[in-house]
Amino acid sequence: MLTRSSRWMIAMSMLGLLFVTGCTPKDEESSGTGSGGAASKSDGGTAAVESRGTIGFSALTLKNPFFKIIADSMTEAGKTNGFEVLVNDAERDVNEQSKHIDNYIAQGVAAIVLNPADRIAIGPAIRKANEAGIPVFTCDLQCAAEDAKVDGHIGTDNYQGGRLAGDAMIEALGDAGGEVLVLHFKQANSCVLRVQGFTEVLAEHNKDRESGNITIVSELEGGGLTDEGFKSTSDALQAHQNLRGIFAINDPSALGAWTALKQAKKTDQVTIIGFDGQLDGKRAILEGKIYADPIQFPKQMGVVSVQNIVKYLDGEDYEKVELIPTAIYKKADAEKDPDLQKTPTPAPAPGEVSLIQTFKSPG
Amino acid sequence: MKRFIADNGSIIVLLALCAYYSVVTLGEQHPNTPAAGQEVAAAILKDSSEQVTVVVITRDTVQDRAYSEAVRAAIETGGGTVLAVVNGAPTDARLALEQVGGAFSRVDAIATNHSASGWGPLKPQKLKTTADKFPGISGIKVFKPQSYTWPSFLTRENLVNVINQNAVIAIIAIGMTLVIITAGIDLSVGSLLALCGVTTAVAIQQMAGGADAGTIGLLGACLIGTGVCTLCGIFNGVMVTWFRVPAFVVTLAMMMVARGLALIVAVQYQSALLGGGTEGTPEAVRIEAAAFGWLGNGATFGIPNPILLMLALYVLAHITMTKTSVGRYIYAVGGNPEAARLSGVPVFGVLILVYAICGAMAGLAGIVDASRFEGGRPNAGEMYELQVIAAVVVGGTSLAGGEGRIFGTLVGAMIIAVIQNGLNMAGVASYEQKCVFGGLILAAVLLDRFKRK
Amino acid sequence: MRGVDKSFPGVHALKNVDLDVEAGDVLALLGENGAGKSTLIKVLGGAHRPDSGVIEIDGRPMEIITPQDSQRAGIGIIYQEFNLIPAMTVRENIFLGQEPGRVSIVPAGKERRRARELFDRIGVALDPDALVRDLTVAQQQIVEIAKALSLDSRIIVMDEPSAALSPREVEGLFRIVDELKSQGIGIVYVSHRLDEIFAICDHVTVLRDGTYVDSKPIGELTRDTLIELMVGRKLADEFPNRAVAKPVATDDNEVRSGLTVSNLVGGPKVRDISFNVRRGEIVALTGLVGAGRTEAARLIFGADKREAGTITLDGKELSIKSPRDAIASGICMLTEDRKGQGLILNRSVLENFGLPNLSRFTVRGLIQQKRERDAFQAYVEQLQIKVSGPKQRAGNLSGGNQQKVVLAKWLERDAEVIIFDEPTRGIDVGAKFEIYLLMRHLVEQGKAILMISSELPEVLGMADRIIVLHEGRVTGEIEDVKLATQESIMDLAVK
Ligand SMILES: Nc1ncnc2c1ncn2[C@@H]1O[C@H](COP(=O)(O)OP(=O)(O)OP(=O)(O)O)[C@@H](O)[C@H]1O
Ligand SMILES: [Mg+2]
Repeated sequence: MLTRSSRWMIAMSMLGLLFVTGCTPKDEESSGTGSGGAASKSDGGTAAVESRGTIGFSALTLKNPFFKIIADSMTEAGKTNGFEVLVNDAERDVNEQSKHIDNYIAQGVAAIVLNPADRIAIGPAIRKANEAGIPVFTCDLQCAAEDAKVDGHIGTDNYQGGRLAGDAMIEALGDAGGEVLVLHFKQANSCVLRVQGFTEVLAEHNKDRESGNITIVSELEGGGLTDEGFKSTSDALQAHQNLRGIFAINDPSALGAWTALKQAKKTDQVTIIGFDGQLDGKRAILEGKIYADPIQFPKQMGVVSVQNIVKYLDGEDYEKVELIPTAIYKKADAEKDPDLQKTPTPAPAPGEVSLIQTFKSPG
Repeated sequence: MKRFIADNGSIIVLLALCAYYSVVTLGEQHPNTPAAGQEVAAAILKDSSEQVTVVVITRDTVQDRAYSEAVRAAIETGGGTVLAVVNGAPTDARLALEQVGGAFSRVDAIATNHSASGWGPLKPQKLKTTADKFPGISGIKVFKPQSYTWPSFLTRENLVNVINQNAVIAIIAIGMTLVIITAGIDLSVGSLLALCGVTTAVAIQQMAGGADAGTIGLLGACLIGTGVCTLCGIFNGVMVTWFRVPAFVVTLAMMMVARGLALIVAVQYQSALLGGGTEGTPEAVRIEAAAFGWLGNGATFGIPNPILLMLALYVLAHITMTKTSVGRYIYAVGGNPEAARLSGVPVFGVLILVYAICGAMAGLAGIVDASRFEGGRPNAGEMYELQVIAAVVVGGTSLAGGEGRIFGTLVGAMIIAVIQNGLNMAGVASYEQKCVFGGLILAAVLLDRFKRK
Repeated sequence: MRGVDKSFPGVHALKNVDLDVEAGDVLALLGENGAGKSTLIKVLGGAHRPDSGVIEIDGRPMEIITPQDSQRAGIGIIYQEFNLIPAMTVRENIFLGQEPGRVSIVPAGKERRRARELFDRIGVALDPDALVRDLTVAQQQIVEIAKALSLDSRIIVMDEPSAALSPREVEGLFRIVDELKSQGIGIVYVSHRLDEIFAICDHVTVLRDGTYVDSKPIGELTRDTLIELMVGRKLADEFPNRAVAKPVATDDNEVRSGLTVSNLVGGPKVRDISFNVRRGEIVALTGLVGAGRTEAARLIFGADKREAGTITLDGKELSIKSPRDAIASGICMLTEDRKGQGLILNRSVLENFGLPNLSRFTVRGLIQQKRERDAFQAYVEQLQIKVSGPKQRAGNLSGGNQQKVVLAKWLERDAEVIIFDEPTRGIDVGAKFEIYLLMRHLVEQGKAILMISSELPEVLGMADRIIVLHEGRVTGEIEDVKLATQESIMDLAVK
């Protein structure tokens, strides 16, 4: 038993520790602001970039590397252009996102970038920014609310990406055709477009065919997450023993699907097509877990977003809606990819090697 | 004094947090008022001896318009000429500068404010290149109001924001406080919020006439929404009392069921909108009635309506808990249900009432949310239950029941709100935020506990 | 113990108090309610930290800050509220905290043997593997004593050990105390029952209002001088005089016939009970512990579900389904277990007082707190309740004062029938008299009182009529109390 005063001491020092660790990054950040401010004052025309204020970026979720990459590249591009980029994580909640926008307005940022967490419900928040005269740019996901003015959008051509995925599936399954599962994430309009493109390509493929049709037997929620993708795939494998292909709307759910296949010992029977081209996904392609990904270019999104803001502030013209087409990425691309060389994958365990080999042989 | 600290530990925590953030967010503030406009005009007039020619450039907002109007008026009364007033985007500024640069032989000054002064066309270099083509602006100077140092946390706008943003949480926390005082817990509030939002939205669109809905129709729809949630709350209460199911379990089940229902209603509705052929997506059910936005986005006497609603509910709840028999009964049931029963307190009735109120508060919060986002979101309120419980506990209510104060909860909700807002304002990166946030909540509770001892 | 001082916010509970216990000696610690007895004991047990003062054992000063310190110093404490874990066995409770190592296997056989030895030492037989929740209060007390002995305690402190026991069980306790004494163990014994003090104690230490009054060998004291030491004044009688004449039958007898209970059945303990309590009289319900007295009262009050039987008040049948109904129809009940059933310990005394009476203080839905406070203040004075103010937490009151708050809350209700279950348990002699006086006063006003008490002197001194229960049935009724003796009651009780 401790006496009261010693309990006090312990609790307070623990909290102090927490506080210090918690605040360290912020201190760095604020010192960064300080030097930025200094640079703006010493307008001596030296190498220092002139400060142009703050960009507020409300990311959909920083738990997904895709958006983290956007955020990082935006921060980077912002710095070279004289902006401090304030990144906030909305955790898929429009309410959080609206709070962020309110904060940006109160802070008087130069511009706002966001991945709308809900394409309609974000409307009122964007309208507030409009009223405050702050330009709003969307990125990856679009806003569909009426009378909310968005000054620019940069995103992936998801529909085109879906079509590429469909082509890849046709290529992988060949003339035999077979049953296909789609791991969906209906909440996101981008995913709806991907699946739409995918479905249309398959429909065209099946049109004049007697046999070897590729049929979508099931569309399940994969949540865009590894664990949910795993669960849904496991269930689908029970229901559809002859499954031959899986289209997952992003890499995490594709990896979940692969784990399920591995457990069911069906990795050689079923081909996975993913989407995104995140590092994990690319690595999985290199290892043969995923057959192909239509890849997106999140880095470019961050950079172009900042460029658009600069152009807007400079009163220049720019593309109001820019859709970056995806590119298909397969094992051959992975082998040449410098990103994967830089970060060598840990030596695969023996079991995994054999899996890859069995995967390879039929192909 | 000691007594005061002991009783109001959480208020002191709140003030300390505010003070801390004020220091951290100390920075330059840029005035944008008509008064600032007059100062700028005076500076311009003083700067040039002869008849001065001025272009006023600001953004297109209500405040900026008032500012530029003030500049224009002051310049003109001072004998200067305003060649153009631009209220718009950077492009407009560029075009206007090119125009005046071409049309007039001498333009002396640009009057602008902080935001617009950052625009490219107003930068010295850009002005120089423009002047090459449009020589009228070759001697132009840019004027903007003097900035001053003040914490950006401590502006009226930000403080109103903090409260407004968290009004929904604070409203639910009222119900949760009552439930926790009876030694219960309600995990279903977040889902009930969503269910109410969606139900209300569908009711407005289908029954009250959508875009043409009148006040009565809107109120009716809100009543349906909150009614559904109240019923869910009553269900919770009945399970807890008559069937003796632990509150944690009942409300956990309700949390899932209500979320599921909200999603089903939303998806069905979307699918019906699309003609029933395809399955809908779980998106917000749009509310077209413009008047409905009043509650969530409107303001009365300059104070956002959600704040007013929240305050009204708090006052009501405070009176109920301190001045009425029901309040006494709630405390008694939480402190010792058996002794309460033997003193003639209708224990079951009190418990059911408390869960019903909690459901109703979640419903009201759902209406505010739906109004704010102009749609019923089936995904609204995820994880709110934990935020709300945190607010209640930080506010000094004991999870063991029998103790707690309504205004303590309001302070608790504000502590959490301020922590979050401050972290956002201070630019703490989002991963670190989680650690700091958790730590600060713990710190707030600990401080309060030690003060109380 | 020398010069012990302890303050709580708003209360100076102990002021420079001394206490001496010798080996093989039984010391009675006496004082009015709120005098500081329990607080002193808690200081000794390491549950409270004194503001100043020293504790010496065998002449050596000891630092006692935690309960573990106290155990190590050889002090065993049996608190007013037991510290047993109901879901564990007797053996596990005794040896809780004495397991040989953190993760080693508990030697059940060895423990069982040791437990039997301990029980032998105090001369009782108890199954070491019985669950504590199945034991009677007296048996639980024995477990507590065994636990203290297992720690090699040389001093055992008992805070009101007899309060919850029946007379027969108290005799058992006395035997244990004698046994311990003969083994050279020093005992501190707290009780408000003076005959017990004279029966077993050797020395007496008296506290009043937190100050040390005096210490004397029992031989130098008489009952009256002891009371004078405790209360500070002489008390003439132990019981107030009965009304001169018993209430006589009048014309409106039918209407004023009071409470009638017929063929009451419910729960495992009440088989068939019928009796009546007329207005203007105190009827005592007695019997051995377990005879179904409290259970019968709870059925009348609606606290438990009644299976059969009718309850009428003044000839009108009542439909009582809950305590709320009972209270509404003019019946109220002071439960025997004030902490578990009488009070909401973490709320203020004022709120506890107001709970059943809120309708009286409410105007247009709002409670008029001034009115409530004034009403409470009146009882504070009348019953001499020691509270620091109406906002004091009920849990911080001394045991006797808690009982008084419960009493006040029901008196304010002004019910027609009042059931007193052990009304003076834990109440000091002075206050006891006040309560008796009050009961008399109530019946004189025409109320009906049903009293349950394990103390036969109290039954004989207060009741106008006695009803004796045995195994859930009425086994006898004594109309004329003057003819009753303790023996005659006991005869009926075991019939
Ligand atoms: N935790 C506490 N906080 C505040 N006051 C307390 C606390 N515990 C006891 N007191 C006060 O200290 C005084 C002494 O209480 P204590 O329990 O020692 O009395 P007691 O002599 O045991 O009385 P009783 O015979 O009624 O049991 C009382 O006035 C009581 O209200
Ligand atoms: Mg005591």
